[in-house]
Amino acid sequence: MCNLALMAESKTPGFWTKNCEKSGLAAVSTDSIKAAAESIGISQLPDQVSVRLANETTFRIKEIFQDSLKFCNHRKSRKLSCQDIDNALKSKNIEPLYGFVSKDFIPFRFSSGGGRELHFVEEKELDLNDIINAPLPKITYDVAIKAHWLAIEGVQPSIPENPAPEKQFSIDILKKGESKEPKTGIKALKSCHVQNNNPLISAKKPDSSSTSLVSLKPQFTHELSVEQQLYYKEITEAAVGSSEARRAEALQSLATDPGLAQMLPRFSTFVSEGVRVNVVQNNLALLIYLMRMVKALMDNPTLNLEKYLHEMIPAMMTCVVSRQLCTRPDVDNHWALRDYAARLMAQICRSFSTSTNLIQSRITGTFCKCLHDDKSSLAARYGSVAGLAELGPNVIQSLALPRLRVEGDRIKNILESPLLNAIDRTAAEHLRGLLVKHCGHVIKGLRQPPDLSEDYSNEYGYLGPLICQHITKLREQEAHKSRLLASAGLNRPAMGIGSRPSLMSTGSSSSQQNSSLSSSPNLDHQFSLNSNPSSVGASSRMTFYGSNSKTSMFDGS
Amino acid sequence: MAELQHFSGAGSVETVNYSSTLSSTEQDLSSQDSSQVPEAASAEVEVHDSSDITEETSGPIKLVAEKDQKTLFAVLQFLRKNNLGETVNALEQEAEKAGVKLKGDPASGSQLSTDEVSSLLSAYSNEADPSSYEDNYRLLQQCIETSLDAHKCELAQLSYPVFIHMYLVLIYNHHETKAKSFFHRFSGVLEDFHQNDLSQLSAVTMKSQMEGNNFIFSLRSNKYVVRISQDSNDMLKRYLEEKNKPLVQDIIQSHITLDVFEGLPRTRTQIKASAGGLCGEARQDENKVKVFYGLLKEPDIDIPLEDDDDLDDSQDGSSKSKKRKKKEFLSKKNKADPNAPALTRIPLPEIKDADKLEKINIAKESLKRVRLGGMERVAPSVCCYTFTNAFGTVTAVDISDDSSLLAAGFQDSHIRVWSLTPRTLRTVKSAAELSLLDKEGDDIFERMMDDCTGVESKTLFGHSGTVYALSISPCRTLLVSSSEDGTVRLWSLLTWTNLVVYKGHVWPVWGTQFGPHGHYFVSCGQDKVARLWVTDHHQPVRMFAGHLSDVDCIAFHHNSNYIATGSSDRSVRVWDVLNGNCVRVFTGHKKPVLCLAWSPDGRYLASAGVDTDILIWDIAAKVMVGMFKGHTAAVETLAFSRDGEVLASGGLDNTVKVWDFQQVIWDIDTDDIGMQRGHATITDHNYLLSDFPTKESPIFHLHFTRRNLLLSVASFLNPS
Repeated sequence: MCNLALMAESKTPGFWTKNCEKSGLAAVSTDSIKAAAESIGISQLPDQVSVRLANETTFRIKEIFQDSLKFCNHRKSRKLSCQDIDNALKSKNIEPLYGFVSKDFIPFRFSSGGGRELHFVEEKELDLNDIINAPLPKITYDVAIKAHWLAIEGVQPSIPENPAPEKQFSIDILKKGESKEPKTGIKALKSCHVQNNNPLISAKKPDSSSTSLVSLKPQFTHELSVEQQLYYKEITEAAVGSSEARRAEALQSLATDPGLAQMLPRFSTFVSEGVRVNVVQNNLALLIYLMRMVKALMDNPTLNLEKYLHEMIPAMMTCVVSRQLCTRPDVDNHWALRDYAARLMAQICRSFSTSTNLIQSRITGTFCKCLHDDKSSLAARYGSVAGLAELGPNVIQSLALPRLRVEGDRIKNILESPLLNAIDRTAAEHLRGLLVKHCGHVIKGLRQPPDLSEDYSNEYGYLGPLICQHITKLREQEAHKSRLLASAGLNRPAMGIGSRPSLMSTGSSSSQQNSSLSSSPNLDHQFSLNSNPSSVGASSRMTFYGSNSKTSMFDGS
Repeated sequence: MAELQHFSGAGSVETVNYSSTLSSTEQDLSSQDSSQVPEAASAEVEVHDSSDITEETSGPIKLVAEKDQKTLFAVLQFLRKNNLGETVNALEQEAEKAGVKLKGDPASGSQLSTDEVSSLLSAYSNEADPSSYEDNYRLLQQCIETSLDAHKCELAQLSYPVFIHMYLVLIYNHHETKAKSFFHRFSGVLEDFHQNDLSQLSAVTMKSQMEGNNFIFSLRSNKYVVRISQDSNDMLKRYLEEKNKPLVQDIIQSHITLDVFEGLPRTRTQIKASAGGLCGEARQDENKVKVFYGLLKEPDIDIPLEDDDDLDDSQDGSSKSKKRKKKEFLSKKNKADPNAPALTRIPLPEIKDADKLEKINIAKESLKRVRLGGMERVAPSVCCYTFTNAFGTVTAVDISDDSSLLAAGFQDSHIRVWSLTPRTLRTVKSAAELSLLDKEGDDIFERMMDDCTGVESKTLFGHSGTVYALSISPCRTLLVSSSEDGTVRLWSLLTWTNLVVYKGHVWPVWGTQFGPHGHYFVSCGQDKVARLWVTDHHQPVRMFAGHLSDVDCIAFHHNSNYIATGSSDRSVRVWDVLNGNCVRVFTGHKKPVLCLAWSPDGRYLASAGVDTDILIWDIAAKVMVGMFKGHTAAVETLAFSRDGEVLASGGLDNTVKVWDFQQVIWDIDTDDIGMQRGHATITDHNYLLSDFPTKESPIFHLHFTRRNLLLSVASFLNPS
């Protein structure tokens, strides 16, 4: 028995049979018994005997382990130790294994050869002289008691002896099943809705959003200070509120403040949830505000959005290719939002796309899928073309040009159909303009003059003549410019700076910009008008934007 | 007699010893004079001292009658087996003197012995077709499944005991492979909390392994108790008769006690709350005895409440309110509790002057007590004492009642005592110096101490195994400790030496505790027995036997008349100190019970253990009245606040939790019929008041000071 127990102690991994799926079924293998028998000089142990021995050994070992668990319990420990097994052996009147200590978790070595596998305990030969002459180990510190306040009237003081508050916070979250932070986000969204005085939105607000938001909570593992919570509340309220001046300040803060990294996850969630809720309700103004928030966050040099792209990209993508983004698609200028979001998307691609995350190819894929889908709406097609265009002329050349004829036919069919409505017409015209402009730009580089309308028509279908016109105009402008430059002997003026819409300027400067640079319609200004539907008619904005801004929007890219 | 085979040598000697001491201890308890030691108690029983055993056994021999001869043979057989040759000779000689012929052929003796063993096991011998067991068990399952919903849960209780006994029958009759397949086929459908036992059971795969296994022994020597309503019982009987399955009927008849009660069947939650015992639930008739759970009437001590309180007397308002408080306090004290036992039921030590001073102190302190429960409750403050550099070697902790001393036992068998106050720990002066002192002086207790010896902590060496439990006496001059080496030791905290080694437990002693009035202490251990000791006797005055597995923890009732024990058989028992009877059995824990606490009013008992649930038992109503869920690892300690309004718990999950005990008591619906019938009633209400995590430090001990400040003792585990 004692022998068996000794063997049991050397609980080599191979000692147990391997086919023990359930822990309760682990058993000593007969091979181990045979190996043990050989080691004490008994060869050719009959199978029956070894089976019986294996069975018995398994039982005895299990018995010992069950007993040693008792000792572990009473030692007030969660880990079984060698001492517990020794004690269990002792209580069974079996001599314990004196001196079985090991630094390793499993001190067994594996060896195989001659078709046999063996596990053994490595026992090095030690030179007594070495041990005697070795320097004495350091004396361990004496056991001491240290008193501290674990709690004072129910509150745990934040001292080094107590666990960090973050841990407690996460415990709180787990316990309550919901966190406080996303709630304030929702509240902020709600409050901005109220400020907008849009009864439709506040009434329609789905309850499911709040529950689904709560389900996102495990990401928030650190607690914001009270100041940060206040800041978050202020910023989110201002960014989607009605006051343009406050919004400008909020966005300015988001774009420049260096200490926002900790709050970035909250902002990211705020944006993605905001888009989710408002796209359902076709609240164009709020979607624009949220996109401007994204822009501000992207502009902040101290923030790295990479970790939050999984929330940001879907939100932005929604703003580019969604079927409907506003309540009245025939008059509201959702095109500007699509263009704007598409530009942000392109910026994301440039900043974060790598060969491992393949953001660009995934985004391009999404756009293409939308473009190739016969059922997608014209607005969605517009968005995908805009998105592709922002990614550069090469993308247009390889992905949009082959579709030009198909798209042309589609536009033609719609425009010439007898059942044409205002929504379709605006959409078709916008899409046509967009395709002509971008494809024209690319085709100009591909073809040499002379530009003949018939050739274009043959090659590109319905849109051919329009593109031809566009290219001719472009070539003329170019020639005119080069002549001017040559005569003035000057370099090309830096058009990009003025023509790029400045998104972060304050309200007062934006009006100045508007007057001084007639070629740059200020997106900020425009959106601020948009947020007050009562003061300015939607149609007037439409004309303002449509007449002035279209070309200038893309110059920067 | 068969039990002898299952205890090792020393354990069985104890059983013999028990019978002889039992009669003498009655008078022992009543006589406070320690010089008048009864005869039997004086006979020292050393386990390996064969001559003493002869003395012990020589008593019964004189009573030998025809039928006792068998017993004698068994004793002889046992002695031979343990190579106690001298004793055998002595016994044989003694027997011959008594006119009994024992010197027969040894073969007959051994024959007898094996017969004894086999007679016990023979309950299992059965010639039924081994392959019919699976069918029969499936039939039982069908019976359960097809029964009405109301009875389904009740009948489902049968599936576990029938399963284990069928398995054991198969093993006993050498149908190993059949047993294995039977086990795999049906073990999965049994309740989760049986898994521990099932894994023990699955280890037994041969008949030879059934012998000497404690777990199997408990199973087959006790009938598994299933509580079941009258209706369900009738249904079951009808079903079994209809199907004519004698196999299941046999098993139920021979291994299961159906404890039938009147009224509606229990619900699933009720059944689950009280399930989990090693051999099922407690029988109703086991809990019938009346328990005097009330507190003893405090002796009249003139408590000078008015004189000192120099600080507060200046303020009129506060002193007025204080006076009112005092009045309440006094009136409360003077009321006699109708549930209290008579003051003389258990003889208590006389009250000394020092005790009176202590009582005055307690009364004073309790006036400054903070209320942790009720309407104007204050959230608890917790002071944590953390062991550093201990590396998990601390195994037992106790704090003295006045919160001035902390004692800790270590894995390497030493004990250390710290002073928690600025007062250092001093040793008493030498005998020569003491003789010079004026013994009548008022300050004798102060002057007998040697001031030069004052240190912050003292170490006590003596044990030779891990120290598992400690208890400081109420007078703070004594300490008992129990250890893996099987001994309980009494230490003096004046001389800092070991006074007595109490031998009796042979296996590790898991728990020990001083009685609330000193003088008595209790211990319990792996030998499944709890013992009551008096400090001035080296032998136990009571033994409490009845648990089916290790007794893991023990707690003295506040009135010194009762003892609660928790065990690895997952039951909690309450014992009467007067006669050693078990007066309450509670089941409901699913794993070993590790800690117990009596509520200050003595009516409720809290228990907790490895299964992380804290259960509250009502001694008067004999039912479980509450269950606190929330811990994530074994609960190691429980403590009631001094006014009994909150319960604090701590354990290996590194948290201290505080529970609203008062609310539990308020929530008890005394009119509930189920409760009157003894069914557990558990509400879903969350009673957790606060939750304080520590930094990687499991909680070993909790203690409320007299002012209701919670002290916790933890040991920092270096995260390496």
